[in-house]
Amino acid sequence: MYCVKCGVRLQDGVENCPLCQTPVWNPGKIEQDHAFPDSFPKHYRESNLAGAVAMTLLCAVVIIVTLIVCLQLYGALRWGGYVILGLLLFYVVAVLPLWFHVPRGEVFVPIDHAVAALYVLYICVKTGGHWFLSFAMPLILISCLISTAMICLLKYVRGGRLFIFGGFLIVMGVFTVLVEFFEHLSFGVTMFRWSLYSFAGFASAGLFLLIAGMIPSLRNELQRRFFF
Amino acid sequence: MQKKWYRLDTAALIFPATARRDWCNVFRVSATLKEPVDTEVLQHAVDDLRHRFPSYFVTLRKGIFWYYLEESARRVLVQNDYAYPLTFMSSRELKQNCMRVLVYKNRIAVEFFHSLTDGHGGSVFLSNLVARYLELKHGLLIPRNELIKDLLQDPPGEELEDSFLKNAAEVASGRKEEASYRLHGIREQDGFKHLTTGIVETQALLDAVHRCGVSATAFLAAVMAESIIGIQNAERQRKRQRPVKITIPVDLRRLYGSKTLRNFSLVLNIGADPRYGDYSLEELCRTIYHQLRAFATPQNMAGMIAANVQPQELTILRLAPVSLKNLVMDGVYRRSGESGGSINISNITGLSLPAEMLPYIERMEFIIGPQRSYPNNCSVMSFGGKTYINMIRNIRESELERRFFSRLVELGIAVDIESNRR
Repeated sequence: MYCVKCGVRLQDGVENCPLCQTPVWNPGKIEQDHAFPDSFPKHYRESNLAGAVAMTLLCAVVIIVTLIVCLQLYGALRWGGYVILGLLLFYVVAVLPLWFHVPRGEVFVPIDHAVAALYVLYICVKTGGHWFLSFAMPLILISCLISTAMICLLKYVRGGRLFIFGGFLIVMGVFTVLVEFFEHLSFGVTMFRWSLYSFAGFASAGLFLLIAGMIPSLRNELQRRFFF
Repeated sequence: MQKKWYRLDTAALIFPATARRDWCNVFRVSATLKEPVDTEVLQHAVDDLRHRFPSYFVTLRKGIFWYYLEESARRVLVQNDYAYPLTFMSSRELKQNCMRVLVYKNRIAVEFFHSLTDGHGGSVFLSNLVARYLELKHGLLIPRNELIKDLLQDPPGEELEDSFLKNAAEVASGRKEEASYRLHGIREQDGFKHLTTGIVETQALLDAVHRCGVSATAFLAAVMAESIIGIQNAERQRKRQRPVKITIPVDLRRLYGSKTLRNFSLVLNIGADPRYGDYSLEELCRTIYHQLRAFATPQNMAGMIAANVQPQELTILRLAPVSLKNLVMDGVYRRSGESGGSINISNITGLSLPAEMLPYIERMEFIIGPQRSYPNNCSVMSFGGKTYINMIRNIRESELERRFFSRLVELGIAVDIESNRR
């Protein structure tokens, strides 16, 4: 069999030319004799165990030192609670994924948000505030949903990156409006003081990406310029 | 018993320093037999080669000041091949063995971490492995010669030496080179490497080469440069273009009469600058051929060797811890050598197997992995009247392969294409 476009002779049974992707007419439905098996290696990159161990030890040392200092000085946690929970948040976001060969974003992002919610709740309780349920909690939940959806789309949907990023930017614009809305509900501040500006910025960038996704020449130009 | 250990040769020093979490420099040589491979017999053959090729049965170790190779306590086990060649060799794997033997149907493949040896050493090892396999499997009596070694003998010192040290000039040549055009595309996220093999009749290729009055390497490099220039033309205006350079490894054994089985090759970045005008294929052939002839001389290469040897003789650098050296060497790698080219074309020639082995072997191939800095690479090997041109890439786009192989067809060379596409 020959490729009508490239003029090269192809292996029996191939469906497309490997060079130009032109479909190949295969009337006899001949089975392809594969040059390589189907099995993939277990790992295609290394995990960062040494970094994970080092960072864990460092975090543990900082926590222990903070505990000792606070208990010696005040006999209570006081500001040490903020440090320890802040460090826990840092650990979960930055260090925990290092332990895994291929960290799954769709698992880690909800965990990160849960720990962030815990930290914010602690601050709310310690400062005697009543804004966690009406302000922080809904925003953290919405942020968690948006980021997890974004990661899943990027991971499981092949192609359509510009539409995904464009949609994400528009949703981020809406999110800034929601921040101001919950601010209004919890603290009684006036609506639309700043969020419409950020919404306009996010939405116009998102719309640009959506339009670029629909115009192939613009899309190719963007891919070329922003390739990394 | 104390384990043997070896210093890395001059060229090998760069490879551990430039390795990344998902990339290291590996290459593969393979032989396809005319019958399915018996893995048990092959395992015996691999074990039998250990005494004669001790510098390949090693692990990569990290000293305080340098990396070194240490005799491996583990056997190199025959494994099943994967869906793509040159799968990532992790640092954990390198601490066990720096070489893999892989089998798929009729094919025996050996993959080497580049610190062990270069393409020549790899093909010598593979030839001996296949010879031993055929002896065990079919009871052949294969005569010993320059290529097929006596496995009972100890390896002579000249096979284990670092020939760079012997052949460096007193004055080093400069490394500075203008940045070349880089191919790019959408990377495969799971490490998959697309391999496209173009099989051509060696005689048809040589006829085309002779029509241009150049060498086969220069001809293939010229066709490759023309293809890359075409891609760059479609992408950028002329004034924003960059030189297109083909990285061509030069086997220094021929220049200096060395018999080492460790690394002893250096690369030349040769090509043309499309900003100054269009080139016909004939012009590209001539310019690449003459540059190759002009630069691949013992004197010029000695200057290049000195540029690699001299820094490692500086006391201040020798006393620097290995991690600091890695940073320096990584910087050097990014600015010179293979990094300075647009693509690599490695052509292994001069491998003449004994006539007793030929009836059992269908083909022999050589594959180098994509570089860290560019996604495509090309390697060439001739066997049994056919030339196998292996083009590998870690991106989805096959534009370069399409342009290169269809240009060969236009030049009257029939090309059979095989691929491992998913």
